[in-house]
Amino acid sequence: MSAGNESQATSGDAVTTASAGRTPRPAEPSKAKATIAWIALAVIFGGAVALSDAKWGQLSEVFTEGARYFRLMGEGLLHSPFSEPYSEYWTLAFQKMMESVYMAWVGTMLGAVISIPMGFLAARNVAGPVTVQVTRIILNAIRAVPELVFVIVIMLPIFGFGPVAGAVALGVGAVGTLGKLTAEALEGIDPGPVEAAQASGASRWAILRWAYWTQVLPEVIAFWLYRFEINIRASAVLGIIGAGGIGQLLSQLFSKRDWDQIGITLVVIILVTIAVDSISGAIRHRIISGSGQKVTTEEKAEAAV
Amino acid sequence: MSVEAPPAVAVDRPRRPAPSLTLIAGLLLAAAFTVWAALQIDFTLAPLWRNFSNGWVVISQFLQPNWSFIFRVWDAWVETIAIAIVASAVGVLVGLLFAFGASRITNRSGWMYRTVKTVLSVIRSLPDVAYVLIFVALVGVGSLAGILALIMFNIGIAAKLTAETIDAVDPGPLEAADAGGSGTFSRARWAVLPQILPNYLSYCLYIFELNIRASVVIGIAGGGGIGQVINVQFSRFNYENVAAITVAIFVVVLLIDQLSQYLRRRFV
Repeated sequence: MSAGNESQATSGDAVTTASAGRTPRPAEPSKAKATIAWIALAVIFGGAVALSDAKWGQLSEVFTEGARYFRLMGEGLLHSPFSEPYSEYWTLAFQKMMESVYMAWVGTMLGAVISIPMGFLAARNVAGPVTVQVTRIILNAIRAVPELVFVIVIMLPIFGFGPVAGAVALGVGAVGTLGKLTAEALEGIDPGPVEAAQASGASRWAILRWAYWTQVLPEVIAFWLYRFEINIRASAVLGIIGAGGIGQLLSQLFSKRDWDQIGITLVVIILVTIAVDSISGAIRHRIISGSGQKVTTEEKAEAAV
Repeated sequence: MSVEAPPAVAVDRPRRPAPSLTLIAGLLLAAAFTVWAALQIDFTLAPLWRNFSNGWVVISQFLQPNWSFIFRVWDAWVETIAIAIVASAVGVLVGLLFAFGASRITNRSGWMYRTVKTVLSVIRSLPDVAYVLIFVALVGVGSLAGILALIMFNIGIAAKLTAETIDAVDPGPLEAADAGGSGTFSRARWAVLPQILPNYLSYCLYIFELNIRASVVIGIAGGGGIGQVINVQFSRFNYENVAAITVAIFVVVLLIDQLSQYLRRRFV
């Protein structure tokens, strides 16, 4: 901020006084505002450091203990993945990670299917004002509740422990964001095709299908894929409290402190996540650029989480 | 030359374009993967109506929040906000450095650019709980583990968003800096930073919001703050207390969201 203002002010002065020959350097603009802002930030930060109740003395253990554990993890990784028991570790980590991926995918699909009608009902140019308001309130309420709470409160008592509870919770959670994004995409469409369809006497359903839905489809599918990427990470959290998948394995391993197996599991998480992200990202870019739209899906989706 | 009249018969309907093979293959693949994934986790919605009464017991408890509990855990709220402030401040500062390394515009060394990119995608691929578990093992249960875990998480997001903004800066000031013979550092400081600053500040606020939202997750895995309270109350089946905390988190997130929207309007 301040840097931008400074350079503008200086160049302005230079232009007006250039003709007067050798001119004194213009006075530097006041930095008081920026200084006050920095001091305020420093005070807030200092206060937060003091109030956070963190045992700062233990910070050095990150390096001492960290180095030791890191070596232990490395030992697990350096053993041949085909020798016992390391081959089992690799298989188990991979199985559990895939369980998380399946959980995330089924949850995303479930949420996506429900979010389509919700999105239409929440778009101002499709539904009436009362319907829009009611649907938006529902979507906002869903977005407000953390998925973790969904799992513990509703899904575990009904579905029992396991990945299905997690998948349903991720699905319900996804309805909130996907419904909102679909509604926003629908509100931003070009009205031309809608008018054309109306002029040729298309039925209400045909207009929704061919004038509205076709226009938002690429963007909506990109949102679904992006949500899938987010859900893979979220499924790890759900595993900790009993929804299966990689989170469950991680919390078991950390309570046993099996560092060689933890190292293998973390590497599997990193590899699978990067692989899924790059496939999903490539499809998203293909879909969006193929449709000729310039949308920064990620920023929009991030803002709606 | 006489102009022939157009034929009076109705024009044939144009041929329907052939469906794209890639699209069909893609859809089939997606459908097959969905079925496969559902089979692998034994997906079924049947318990939803079979066991609904089980869930209803909890939900009905949840619908009677114990409001007074919110203020009884005042310390945990302060801790949560403090954790979020410290973690986002450190995270966005380190993230900014990484962002300069992760853009071709500010980092003209090929191998360094690729290294930074790889490190960042590794940092981003671990979920936040994994970081909490790691740091709990290193420094013990408590808010320090939460702060360190959130810092790692924030570095990933801040660096990614900021690097994308750096990629899109106006080349004019860059050329001016190059023509003036500036080095890599002063080029980044004076030609790039002023351009990305408004966006960067709004990412900082966004990350702070994310950190407040993440406090539930952080606490459940042992990272301190309000999430730890939720964890304890859950294990004691005090759902009315959990309900009150959930609503309060929602209100806090909403307030911070309003505040950061106001600040963002002033920056951008």
